[in-house]
Amino acid sequence: MRRLLAAAAVLTIAAGLTACSSSTETQGEGPGSAGGTASTKLTVWIMRDSISDALVQRFTSDYQSAHAGTTLDIQVQEWDGIGQKVTSALASNDAPDVIEVGNTQVAEYAASGGVKDLTDKTTDLGGADWLPGLAEPGKIDGKQYGIPWYAANRVVIYNKDLFEKAGVTAAPKTRDEWIDITTKLNKGGDQGIYLPGQNWYTLSGFIWDEGGDLAVNDGTTWKGGLDTPQALAGMDFYKKLQALGDGPRDSDEANPPQADVFAKGDVAQLISAPGGAVAIEKANPDLKDKLGFFPIPGKTADKPGAVFTGGSDLIIPEASKNQDAAYEVVKALAGEKFQTDMAKEMSYVPNRVSLAGVLSGSEGAAAMAIGAANGHATPNSPNWAAVEAKNVIKEYMTAALTGDAAAEAGKASQSIAEILNTKS
Amino acid sequence: MASEAPQPPGNLLSAGISVPSGRRRPGAGEPSHPGSGDAGSRHPSAAARPSGVNPRRRRSGRGAARTIAAAWPYLLVLPTVIGTAYLLFYPLLRSVVISFQHFRTGELIRGGAAFVGLENYQDVLGSAEFWTVVRRTLVWTAVNVVLIVVISTLTALMIVRLGRRMRLAVMSGLVLTWATPVLAATTVFQWLFQSRLGVVNWALVSLGFDSFDGFSWFASGQATFAIMVLLIVWQSVPFAALTLYAGLTTIPAELHESARIDGAGAWQIFRGVTFPMLRPLFGLITSLEVIWVFKCFAQIWAITKGGPDDATTTLPVYAFQVAQSLHKYDLGSAISTLTVLILLVVLVAHLRRMYKHEGEGL
Repeated sequence: MRRLLAAAAVLTIAAGLTACSSSTETQGEGPGSAGGTASTKLTVWIMRDSISDALVQRFTSDYQSAHAGTTLDIQVQEWDGIGQKVTSALASNDAPDVIEVGNTQVAEYAASGGVKDLTDKTTDLGGADWLPGLAEPGKIDGKQYGIPWYAANRVVIYNKDLFEKAGVTAAPKTRDEWIDITTKLNKGGDQGIYLPGQNWYTLSGFIWDEGGDLAVNDGTTWKGGLDTPQALAGMDFYKKLQALGDGPRDSDEANPPQADVFAKGDVAQLISAPGGAVAIEKANPDLKDKLGFFPIPGKTADKPGAVFTGGSDLIIPEASKNQDAAYEVVKALAGEKFQTDMAKEMSYVPNRVSLAGVLSGSEGAAAMAIGAANGHATPNSPNWAAVEAKNVIKEYMTAALTGDAAAEAGKASQSIAEILNTKS
Repeated sequence: MASEAPQPPGNLLSAGISVPSGRRRPGAGEPSHPGSGDAGSRHPSAAARPSGVNPRRRRSGRGAARTIAAAWPYLLVLPTVIGTAYLLFYPLLRSVVISFQHFRTGELIRGGAAFVGLENYQDVLGSAEFWTVVRRTLVWTAVNVVLIVVISTLTALMIVRLGRRMRLAVMSGLVLTWATPVLAATTVFQWLFQSRLGVVNWALVSLGFDSFDGFSWFASGQATFAIMVLLIVWQSVPFAALTLYAGLTTIPAELHESARIDGAGAWQIFRGVTFPMLRPLFGLITSLEVIWVFKCFAQIWAITKGGPDDATTTLPVYAFQVAQSLHKYDLGSAISTLTVLILLVVLVAHLRRMYKHEGEGL
């Protein structure tokens, strides 16, 4: 018995000592390996549904033949829980070499100190031409950490058959026209528009159209913007639009996947990136040539509705062991050849304004490009990712749709301000 | 009669539950030791003797061999202890250490966390939000444990009285519920209560409650809380019910018969005969359920992430939110440590009350 106690005591002390001594995380210092000596294996993380498998294959084979001695291992990651995964990767000794991160999350990683500063490479990458909605989130304190990769924003996908049935001939150019035709379409067993209650990206667009914002920084502190009259007007419009269909008020566009709901054929309109049409056609091949696109209508006919510029940036972790080789990969991915290829294949907005013309072939991409001109980003704060992780806006939207918007907006704004003002 | 009693389900023995031997007739077999997996008839020996050696002859000489022989069991157990120490004790200690440091994303990635003493604890204990969460967690635990114990007791009492086929059906249902993977069951519950496409709303509307057409269960804090209670109780009852059933089978039927002959009703039999005999088992079940419900995290996070409007944010969920969503790992660790301490207080209070009655009422 005494022996057992002694052994247990020794183990506990040993564990305690190990705990105290490793309070400093050591991280791998990784100056880039000299290119082309031994075979360099580079790991690249891209997100689910970002680019098609065919595109990945083409890029990998092109890159590997152009850079002898380098092997590319492109791994696909899921969006769910990616924040923790990337944070752990940046904190580890063995990080991937290039990571694709959402433009709403890149600020947080950049501020953490785990990402390589690429300010001196900006000219090399054609930085003057970048889409502001992608470049700004990747910049902290004037230093460029995230390299813009691609952008996409929402448009309205509509069912041509249902439009014909209701006698709607032209796409609406203003909000009032939009409400009118949606009311006309919301008859019989059909839904005028399927808009889930928690699609906060769409709500942001309506708020920006009114002149409001999700949060404003007066120089030193952040103030939540959901309780301003402009934001409440935006929420009001969302409520009106949402009521013209059967969208659930307590879930978002992924539960159930809105493409599947649209694919059933009784929904007239859907707010989604043009890439959503691919998912709809996959779920219901009968809808193949029946899908039309128009940009989200603004308040007046001369300016399209504001949209959230969703997209991704590329970062190189400091913990990567092949930083120079990783930069070459980033350069290739952000370069004109790949951007053109990707824009055509995936209907994305390429990272440079000058390449926007590439999209003129596809109706969806053309509508998207019109909207992209009025694209906005989320508040540029390293703590914004925490606001998203805590679901503040989604909960506010459900509460506003099922109860009193003004009261809930005050609470939500305060919550946002608290999170954004946290000092790290 | 005890000798005809069916064996408790095998997995109870390996789960370390020793069915109390209390008033069993002698000769019914010794209580099984946790982990032995046997009916307990073998005499537990602490030291394995090297084969072919008579200990009596070895007593005076060969001290080294004897020391090794005596230390052998500890050496055999050492790998497991080291593994447990590394996987359980190290994270626990590390978490406590972090709770005394300033530890955010920067420190996680760059290192160099500074000690700040009790500042994190002061922050946490001083925030009104924390105390709201503690109150909510205590209410959550109380509601769930009461429902679980009551429902599983009733279920166990029912199983004892069933015929063979119905007993098999009910126990199979319980075991299948127990075997369902936690997150699979959680997802199904989410689908059941979906506002437009869920079965519950459809059923209620068919029964005539038209106000439930498109009702958003997960938009209301109280409705969501109720759904989570339902889920947890549903997942917890099988274990408790089967364990209590196992205990009930050890009570000799003569006691019930004599009580009935004396004119006692069902409730009096339960209060006078069944409960006093199974008091340790009830105490064990309640303690285990308190622990498991208190630290319940996966189901709440999967469905609500603590919402809506913090209605289902219990201490474990709160700690996770603060640590992983807000990246305040130091405060999260402080909350976790406080959770363990609160749980200890709750358990000790409960156990003391349970065993204070041990002396009376026999």
